[in-house]
Amino acid sequence: MTPLLRRSALRHFARHPWQGGLAVLGVALGVAVVVGVDLANASARRAFTLSTEAVVGRATHQVAGGPGGLPEETFRRLVLEAGVEAAAPVVEDWVTVERGTAMPGEPRRVLHLLGLDPLSEAPFRPYLRPGDAGFPLEAFLLRPGAAVLAAETAQELGLAPGDELRLLAAGRRREVELVGVLEPEDAAAGRALGDLLLVDVATAQELLGRVGRLDGIDLRLADGAPGAALLARLRRALPAGTELAPAASRAARTLEMTRAFRVNLTALSFLALVCGVFLIYNAITFSVVQRRSLLGTLRALGVTRGEVFALVLGEALLVGAAGSALGLAAGVALGQGLVRLVTQTINDLYFVLSVRELAVPPAVLAKGALLGMAATLLAALAPAHEATAAPPRAVLTRSSLEAAARRALPRATAAGGALLALGGLLLAVPGPLALSFAGLFGLIFGAALLAPAGTVLLMRLLRPLAGGVFGVLGRMAAGGVVAALSRTGVAVAALVVAVSVAVGVGTMIDSFRATVVRWLDASLGADLYVAAAGRPGTPLDPALAERAAALPGVARVDAIRRAEVLSARGPLRVLAVQVGAQGRGAFELRQGRRSEAWPEVAAGRAVLVSEPLAHRLDLRPGSRLRFSTAAGERDFAVAGVYADYATEQGMALLALPVYRRLWDDPFLSGLSLHLQPGADAAAVERALRRAAGADRPLAVTANRELKRRSLAVFDRTFRITAVLRLLAGLVAFVGVLSSLMALQLERARELGVLRAHGLTRGQLWRLVTAQTGLLGLAAGLLALPLGLALAAVMVHVVNRRSFGWTVRLDVAPEVFLQPLALAIGAALLAGLYPAWRMARTAPAEALREE
Amino acid sequence: MSAPPPLVELRAVTRSFREGDRERVVLRGADAAVHRGELAVLVGKSGSGKSTVLNLVAGIDLPTGGEVRVDGVALSRLSERQRTLFRRRHVGFVFQFYNLIPTLTVEENLLLPLELQGRATPPRRQAALDLLAEVGLADRAGAFPDRLSGGEQQRVAVARALAHDPALVLADEPTGNLDLETGLAVLALLDRLTRRAGRTMLMVTHSADVVGLADRVFRIEDCRLIEGPAAARAAGAS
Repeated sequence: MTPLLRRSALRHFARHPWQGGLAVLGVALGVAVVVGVDLANASARRAFTLSTEAVVGRATHQVAGGPGGLPEETFRRLVLEAGVEAAAPVVEDWVTVERGTAMPGEPRRVLHLLGLDPLSEAPFRPYLRPGDAGFPLEAFLLRPGAAVLAAETAQELGLAPGDELRLLAAGRRREVELVGVLEPEDAAAGRALGDLLLVDVATAQELLGRVGRLDGIDLRLADGAPGAALLARLRRALPAGTELAPAASRAARTLEMTRAFRVNLTALSFLALVCGVFLIYNAITFSVVQRRSLLGTLRALGVTRGEVFALVLGEALLVGAAGSALGLAAGVALGQGLVRLVTQTINDLYFVLSVRELAVPPAVLAKGALLGMAATLLAALAPAHEATAAPPRAVLTRSSLEAAARRALPRATAAGGALLALGGLLLAVPGPLALSFAGLFGLIFGAALLAPAGTVLLMRLLRPLAGGVFGVLGRMAAGGVVAALSRTGVAVAALVVAVSVAVGVGTMIDSFRATVVRWLDASLGADLYVAAAGRPGTPLDPALAERAAALPGVARVDAIRRAEVLSARGPLRVLAVQVGAQGRGAFELRQGRRSEAWPEVAAGRAVLVSEPLAHRLDLRPGSRLRFSTAAGERDFAVAGVYADYATEQGMALLALPVYRRLWDDPFLSGLSLHLQPGADAAAVERALRRAAGADRPLAVTANRELKRRSLAVFDRTFRITAVLRLLAGLVAFVGVLSSLMALQLERARELGVLRAHGLTRGQLWRLVTAQTGLLGLAAGLLALPLGLALAAVMVHVVNRRSFGWTVRLDVAPEVFLQPLALAIGAALLAGLYPAWRMARTAPAEALREE
Repeated sequence: MSAPPPLVELRAVTRSFREGDRERVVLRGADAAVHRGELAVLVGKSGSGKSTVLNLVAGIDLPTGGEVRVDGVALSRLSERQRTLFRRRHVGFVFQFYNLIPTLTVEENLLLPLELQGRATPPRRQAALDLLAEVGLADRAGAFPDRLSGGEQQRVAVARALAHDPALVLADEPTGNLDLETGLAVLALLDRLTRRAGRTMLMVTHSADVVGLADRVFRIEDCRLIEGPAAARAAGAS
């Protein structure tokens, strides 16, 4: 391509800034959403890795126990008898800082309490350097309740060495004394240490009420044969119910929990990029259509087809580069917002994570830029090819272009049908989640390709109606939509995609919510729910169950214990419940028979598994599940699968007495109180708090409040989905706007002729508005079935394969009106500017153009 | 005495187009020859196929039957790309609607053919600018085409057609969009500039004035290409 050709192309875009601008905006928005989501995910992952590294240090392996931990003498035995040289005991938990921390309304600061033995630490955690002059070793070891924080964290909490720090640890109000602060060597170490509260092992045991117990033992084993031999020896020496695993595998398992969540976010972000592709396609096509006569002249002057192709593709690349650059910048900004939503969801659903800053790995930016360029090139291929077909010098008219568009219609329709079928096939056969999303995108693209044919069909049907309402102008509007199919087809396709995604995602969320509401109503039957204050999972004094049952006004108390135990299939969450006949109603069995399942569970021969666990481990009634308990390996039958939407990891349900016997864990996680008719809930709550004692604060929640909070978490989880849906919609809207503007501006001459023949401004307004309205109507009518299909796919395929939940598809009546209103509204809005501009243009001016 | 071979030669050229199910013949068995340095004129009714002949000679279009030779090269034997490169090197175009590139200045429009060939050396650039002076527009070199009148634009187009020193100039009703006086000025310019350098020109026109200047006159009638003074009379009479 010669410099003059390049210059000519650049000047074309400089003269039509909105055209290039919209294309750049399309790429930028698409790239921004993809990069923003990617950065948010990467930051969460990085924060997790950093904090894991800080806790794990240089340990190669870890010994972990069940919910009750390990007896302290296991550590002694490993060191003295098995001959392990590098071993360090660990006691850890999450504790809540009581005051002086958060802004009003913000959640209180949660710290990772890490109880360590400084004398064993040298090989493991470099930040704990007992030899350092700065580390207050003596106070740390000898003073009860001595703690150390990172200097920055201490400053954030307004603490200095010598100050007291008030905590909620294992459900009790406690105090520790800050005896020193750690000055991390660099920013990365600072971030890693930010959430750690370091204490001596004995202090941690005392604070958490686990005297004589350890949560784990970190080990450093040599590589190769000596290490393997030692590992084998250690495995034999360890007591039942303990696990010896590589340090990295635990972290990896934890991170793996969020995989489906991340995949879903990424898929949604790609949707925005897909909408962006429409925009680019549209803008580049328009720039080609507009310059067909110019391209023809160039061809006559001896510019080859290859040079024309390169010229158009070069322009697209420029648009892609500008859009990608803008998109990267916007993506980083968007990531700042999204990382908060992602972190919130991870904290709500998975594990404690505090993300202090947005990590911006160059790889993510490179990927975003590459995707932006690739999407642009893909979108520009067809128009670039079309440009080479411009016959030399012919002054081309629209009609020949439209004839080409109409000839392409059967091919596009066939391709659309084939894509729909392929998408359906991908969704029908079982496969990985990514394949389901490929199928979903197949449906979307297929429907987009079918949209032009659908538009032609609908316009034929709507023409009489439009004529009835708007007279001859209405018929002209309907005819105009078909006559300019090369543009209107793209506009309708973009609008169909945007609206159907909005309808599909909306219906999916509504269905999911309705299912969760039904589940909450069925499973939450008690009047008051009691847990220890602080982090969920904080142990509750077992004696409280009996004291609560004895309170006046209380009819019945059900106790539960949640814990993570070891199994042959990795760590599993278990829910131990009292399986009295009254409590069983809270669990709806989706597989298995009630009358047979519950007696087996009560007898300790079987467990029930929640739907997500059944999905994850491929369990069904009759499967076996092997647990590693404090009393040795125990085999359970799966007696049934029950509905549960609380965790996507899933849980196994067993009888509380069985759990207590096997795992030697006396604690409870929660109580549910059924009150006598007419009992005063507030009075019961006051009596209960008195019974627990002043130093053991309780979280008491009424039935209705618990449902409200559960739904609040649900809504928060889907907030990010809603944000992404909005962004995808925005991209599509810009696409529709640019199509309509292109269409109307191109018709300037035609409209000028009409104006010259006496069409008033008002009539012109009506003509343009009727046409955009018809486009919207067509898009709305086409988007409805696609939206419902997308909702069904997301509910029955994507959700099943991501999480294993059964969700009933609930289609609200307004869903049938929503897409129409949405599409027509968007189309009318997008038609405002072109209509205004057309009406303002003097007929003579419009006629002179060409 | 053996005459030199013609620069443009049509041998039994037939061109037909498919229109739906039926075949529309535009040209049947056309023979013609235009020699170096000649001004040949093509006349005929609207839609008679004059532009088709021009497209065939330019290698933009290919005959359904027969052969078109330019400077001894049979265009049908070249690939599309080769024909484009051939046109780039050997043919200059003047259109009825000027067809200047609106996003390039007058000077840039002039230099485009040279640059496309990769021959925009300083002496050639200077020669192109001299040509601009010759058409009387040296002072408008930096202007964009939409700032120029129709006559000025066509003068730029004439200079552009000659800037890369082509052997053959094809002109498609170059005065069709201009008033009589301006048209005559442009014609005089074209005639002067092509003849002076011994270039060959094939022009489609309705103008009787051109027919008077022509060395050869062709007329298309009922898909036949007829050469002769009869054509001149017919055109003169119209």
